[in-house]
Amino acid sequence: MSIYVAQSSKMSVPAAVDEIRQKLGRSDGALLLFFASSSYEPVAISSAFQAAFPHTPTMGCSTSGEIVSGHLSKNSVVAMLIGPDLIEDVCIEVAEDLSAGHSLAAPVQAFERHFGRPVADLDFDHYVGLILVDGLSGAEERLMDELGNATDVAFVGGSAGDDLKFSATHVYANGQAHTNAAVLAVLKPKGPFSIIKTQSFTVLPQTLTATEVDQAHRLVLSFDGQPAVQAYSGALGVPAEAAASQFMVHPMGLVLDAEPFVRSPRAVQDDALAFYCNITEGMQLHLLQSTDIVADTRKAIEDRQAALGRFRGLINFHCILRTLELEQSGRVDDYARVFEDIPTIGFSTYGEQYLGHVNQTSTMLAFV
Amino acid sequence: MAGKIHHMIEEIVNKRAKGNATLMITTKTKLMLKGINPEAFDESTPDDPAVIEKLAGIAHDLGVVVA
Repeated sequence: MSIYVAQSSKMSVPAAVDEIRQKLGRSDGALLLFFASSSYEPVAISSAFQAAFPHTPTMGCSTSGEIVSGHLSKNSVVAMLIGPDLIEDVCIEVAEDLSAGHSLAAPVQAFERHFGRPVADLDFDHYVGLILVDGLSGAEERLMDELGNATDVAFVGGSAGDDLKFSATHVYANGQAHTNAAVLAVLKPKGPFSIIKTQSFTVLPQTLTATEVDQAHRLVLSFDGQPAVQAYSGALGVPAEAAASQFMVHPMGLVLDAEPFVRSPRAVQDDALAFYCNITEGMQLHLLQSTDIVADTRKAIEDRQAALGRFRGLINFHCILRTLELEQSGRVDDYARVFEDIPTIGFSTYGEQYLGHVNQTSTMLAFV
Repeated sequence: MAGKIHHMIEEIVNKRAKGNATLMITTKTKLMLKGINPEAFDESTPDDPAVIEKLAGIAHDLGVVVA
């Protein structure tokens, strides 16, 4: 059976889900994944998909734009049906009430009951995790840290969006809709799979060390003892008033072995910088310089396919900031064409996850 | 005194990764994301009690016993 993908731009939930089901051509699979514009009523879209695929585990989230093979779209819904020939087993759990700071003990224990062993004993070459998080929760770092402590199984995913309204995002699991929550899934693919993390930046030599932070609000108050805005703009050689204009092209990053994990500034707040992720005190960040998203993404995919073989399917968690940059440069179609020959769905996220929480990145799960 | 932080990092990575090259990379990445950049410390780095304490906590979180 393998992987089938479909998209609908019909505005009513019943019509959209029906069109998806018709295009997919079947109503049974090992997993149905869907990403839907926030214009679709959350409870309705999740329950409609579960009703249309009654014997298939379903999961998804709201978006700030959707991706399907060869197309980026808005105000639509995309879906991927993965067959039992590619996935042997899957367990989907929900972590609720993220703002209360509850641990992931309950979903982790559920995984352990399902797979019959501690998650610490799951072979990371044979299991992979998916995570979809309420994009307004600010909980991504805590969740990824807990998962990383508990298991070496890699979790890849994205933060749900709401079409840039920043009002309410939703995650979906087995017919239900949740906010202030995360959907976690552990998959046991039957064949090879691969995780790609691609971000289009070169690492600049300038570094800034966070010396005063407000972690709860994702604020850096000072770098190297200097007010954050002044330190950032000074490192770039621009006036402080121009700092915000540099964010897209010059975010910052934790760098390990020359690979950046991007930390994107979001706004100037007095003399502080607000980020789309947590910065802890003492973190040394490199300034980054943006490069070519289309060329870099194409190369990342071509290189991995050259090494592993043709992808049978791809899930793309693609930062909304990258989508905005592609829109500004008129290269949305160029980017979409990178995926035209691969059964692909994805969405524009409010953040991406792989080992941790990152920004201005695409994290992808490929089935080979 | 110097070098203890570097040795602690090596011990955490080696014990968690158990010789697996992929896990060595992902464990180092997890350390970096936790606020300890493995590349920032070597044999000559002075022992910083705050960093040592942080690493002891990280080791506990990762289920690793360090000397």
